[in-house]
Amino acid sequence: MKKLAILLGVLLLVSMSVFAAGQTEAAGAAKTFTPSKNIDWYVTSSPGGGSDIFTRTIIDIAVAENLLNGQNVVVQYKTDGAGEVGRLLVSQIKAGVQADHTLLTFNSGDLMPMLKNTSNRFENFQPIAHMAVDKHLIFIGEYSKYKSFEEVLAALKRGERIVLGGSKGDDIACHAALIKEIGVTEDQFSYIAHDATSGAITAILGGHFDLLISKPAAASQYVEAGKIKPILALSTSRFPGNLNSAPTLSEFGYKNVEVPNWRSIVAPKSMSAEAVAYWTNVFKKVSETETWNKGYIEKQKLVPDYMDSETFRAYGMQFQKEYLASIGK
Amino acid sequence: MQTKKITSKMLIPIVTAIIAIVFIYFGITKYGFMHEVRGPLPGFFPTIIGFLLLALSVLAFIGSLKEESPGFPVENWYPALGVVAIMLSTLVIGMLPSLALFVLLWLRWFEKFSWKATLIGFAVIMAIVIGAFVMWLGVPFPKGFIYNLIAY
Amino acid sequence: MENLQMLFMGFSVVLTLENVMVTLLGAILGLIVGAMPGIGSLAGVALLLPLTYKFNPTTAIIMLGSLYYANMYGGSFSAILLNIPGDSPAVMTALDGYPMATKRNRPGQALFTANSSSFIGGLIGMLILTFMGPLLADLGLKFGPAEMTSLLLVAMTSIGWLVGESPTKGVVLTLVGVLLASMGMDTLTGSPRFDFGNIYLLGGIPFTPFVIGTVGFSQVLKLMEERNKKVEANLNQKLTIKGSLLTAHDFKRLLPPAIRSGFMGTFVGVLPGAGATTGAFLGYAMQKTFKSEEPLGTGAIEGIAACESANNAAAAGAFAPLLALGIPGSGTGAVLLGGLMMWGLNPGPLLFTTNPDFAWGLIASLFLANILTLIIAVGIIPFLIQILTVPVRMLIPIITVVCVVGGYSTSNSMYGVIIMLLSGVFGYILDRNGYGVAPMLLAFVLAPLLESNMRKAFIISNGKLDIFFDKPISAFLLLVLFAIVLTPVIKFILRKAGVSKKK
Repeated sequence: MKKLAILLGVLLLVSMSVFAAGQTEAAGAAKTFTPSKNIDWYVTSSPGGGSDIFTRTIIDIAVAENLLNGQNVVVQYKTDGAGEVGRLLVSQIKAGVQADHTLLTFNSGDLMPMLKNTSNRFENFQPIAHMAVDKHLIFIGEYSKYKSFEEVLAALKRGERIVLGGSKGDDIACHAALIKEIGVTEDQFSYIAHDATSGAITAILGGHFDLLISKPAAASQYVEAGKIKPILALSTSRFPGNLNSAPTLSEFGYKNVEVPNWRSIVAPKSMSAEAVAYWTNVFKKVSETETWNKGYIEKQKLVPDYMDSETFRAYGMQFQKEYLASIGK
Repeated sequence: MQTKKITSKMLIPIVTAIIAIVFIYFGITKYGFMHEVRGPLPGFFPTIIGFLLLALSVLAFIGSLKEESPGFPVENWYPALGVVAIMLSTLVIGMLPSLALFVLLWLRWFEKFSWKATLIGFAVIMAIVIGAFVMWLGVPFPKGFIYNLIAY
Repeated sequence: MENLQMLFMGFSVVLTLENVMVTLLGAILGLIVGAMPGIGSLAGVALLLPLTYKFNPTTAIIMLGSLYYANMYGGSFSAILLNIPGDSPAVMTALDGYPMATKRNRPGQALFTANSSSFIGGLIGMLILTFMGPLLADLGLKFGPAEMTSLLLVAMTSIGWLVGESPTKGVVLTLVGVLLASMGMDTLTGSPRFDFGNIYLLGGIPFTPFVIGTVGFSQVLKLMEERNKKVEANLNQKLTIKGSLLTAHDFKRLLPPAIRSGFMGTFVGVLPGAGATTGAFLGYAMQKTFKSEEPLGTGAIEGIAACESANNAAAAGAFAPLLALGIPGSGTGAVLLGGLMMWGLNPGPLLFTTNPDFAWGLIASLFLANILTLIIAVGIIPFLIQILTVPVRMLIPIITVVCVVGGYSTSNSMYGVIIMLLSGVFGYILDRNGYGVAPMLLAFVLAPLLESNMRKAFIISNGKLDIFFDKPISAFLLLVLFAIVLTPVIKFILRKAGVSKKK
């Protein structure tokens, strides 16, 4: 038995040192922060999706520009509870070395379900950088009954019922804002949420409903192929390129409606001020590189919009306030 | 009078009936049944299925009264207990050491294999887990409380 | 034919040394990833995506494609040898694969059957993809919510074939499966459902740990009884490839199911929302309606052939909407799509015109992957069978560890392990009481699809039922449904009438 106990003890020590990852020095008492260990970057959706591509692109650029002091980033996917578990986890990390080396990809599409379904709030996180913004358009398909938004408005006035398809998340909020502005009820202008925009596109290509709401990235190749056509821009100004033909709501006499889908990076609330300053600067530099602007922003048809941590905080809190009001909380 | 023991065979329909009732209750009260324009609401489908399940659970229960109950040898639960132990010990020393300990203890102490056989089995399973899951796929296993203490 | 010419052009792209090597590498990695429980094709493709960044886009997508495809082969290995499906499509393979390997003592043949059927199914799928790809994709588009509802209703009747000895028990579990699947985020309203306030349940019950538990871990609990049986000595004879070959008769048995499932699986793969798992389930269920020499579930060759062929065919079929329309049919497709976009390629209606060498290169590489994977898979059969010679007493802790790791890896959290443990215990208790879990798993996969499509159809139709009858495809499928449901009833009535006449 004694032999066994000794063996187990040795085994325990050996395994612990074998599985220890890298150096673990304390950050020291220096005033400025530089990363001194692996950075844990949390993504609350599955690999291969939009958030993942966003995260990996930034990491690749940061590494290439040597902005991380030679440290590695470990991307951690925490998809439990539709991502809420991951967000809660990050918000609860206590101050210390770990907090300074933890980041979280955070989009408006993450914020809205979090506000709706949990008690977690934006103020539980430390905003780091707001990177880019995405807006929506309404499209018709080849089989749609309506050929322009005028026809849609006329049909609604006549009392006809119209169905709009899109993905879950921010598309829903955009639809809600739209119907509020043009003054119709949800019953008259209904919405069908799909797991991803591709599902809604599939459906409209097959002619199963008349209108589609989508962000430019997912839709542009179908516009080029002539399969769908934009008829309304949910933004303060018209879109460039092949989406330019779509008028904004103000051209119909209403106020412009937009519910921007933003992509950003946040950190645990307890992250030290020096680390915050460091990280917000890293992402500022990333946002200025050509790789970012040509290789990601343009390709994904986003609008680049860097905001530093405090500007982003104000923006995020306002967004949260408006959204909470709109869902009656 | 002989009272029939509650056997597991009877327990299953009882459990499914309870599940059915829970889903029916929440389905109707919390999630809504049907909406004029928007059609079936979240509660619709589960509630209907719940009713069906309830009916069939009753049938199954009646059927189970006639049947023999299978025995559950105590030993068969050991792997399950083992997993619970692994989970608890993961919190302290991390998953990989816990798994390693489990394999070693099981093979040597429970199944009484020789040291040679134990170590071969141990080496194989650790090779699979570490080689494939840790090194190649990079799955981040929990490191445990003690490690987190030491590391920071 | 133009498509054939394009295909040959694609082959010329593929048959460079680099691309062949990459296909080979992808095939090997895919086999390994597929065989491991807990890492399915989605995680495997996503995790290996960065590996491909070094290569140029065409080479990279060839590697990913062959990896995704070989995954479907690999899943059957652990299913057949250990009764732990390597990924969800392999669940059905285990139903006949494991009994064939153990009770009937023909493990080599079981593996060979799975590999051959995978090859045939994949080949059929790819041929259809080549000649009818865009057409098929367009056909898939016609299946909107109403059509999918009707189709899935027909599919649900196929569960009837799986219920086994006691219909009551089988249906009870099916319904439980439906209810369990409804836990989590309800996409249509954006609100959580049946989460009982638990943050983890917001995301519902994850399928992979659930399967590993119900099928795999419950198996471990059962094995505890068998640990003291002697290992059969005659296993030693079968440890060569020669000993694993199928007889001509065996081959004749596996061809019809494999071919049938190949066609059906391809079509299922094209449908929106349905993937390899659905294909495998439906393939197996369809086989139940045909004659099998040995009863299904006891180790029949037909059972293995039907589902393995279907799942590979569905994987091939899923490429049709992906390449022709840029629509991923499943989660894995979405990852592939993301990868394609990262390399600057935009799958979509324009892909075949703007990047023909890429598109056809990919299709050609699938053919190549199919052949290479078959060769490798068959070649390692003798090594795989060695696993069966390991005494049960040693296997038990090993499989337990694999189940725990697999359960953890799906979402990198202990939640998966907990689900695995609970479903394992649950599955074990059910199994001992004569409840088969297959209907529950099938319901778990199909019910959410059925429900969401049905509700979408009702939103479109404004709450009215006529949409299901107005649309031609849907109306036709409903006719099929009534035929299936009414046939036994009519037969019953006729029999009674016949009996009373005799009186």
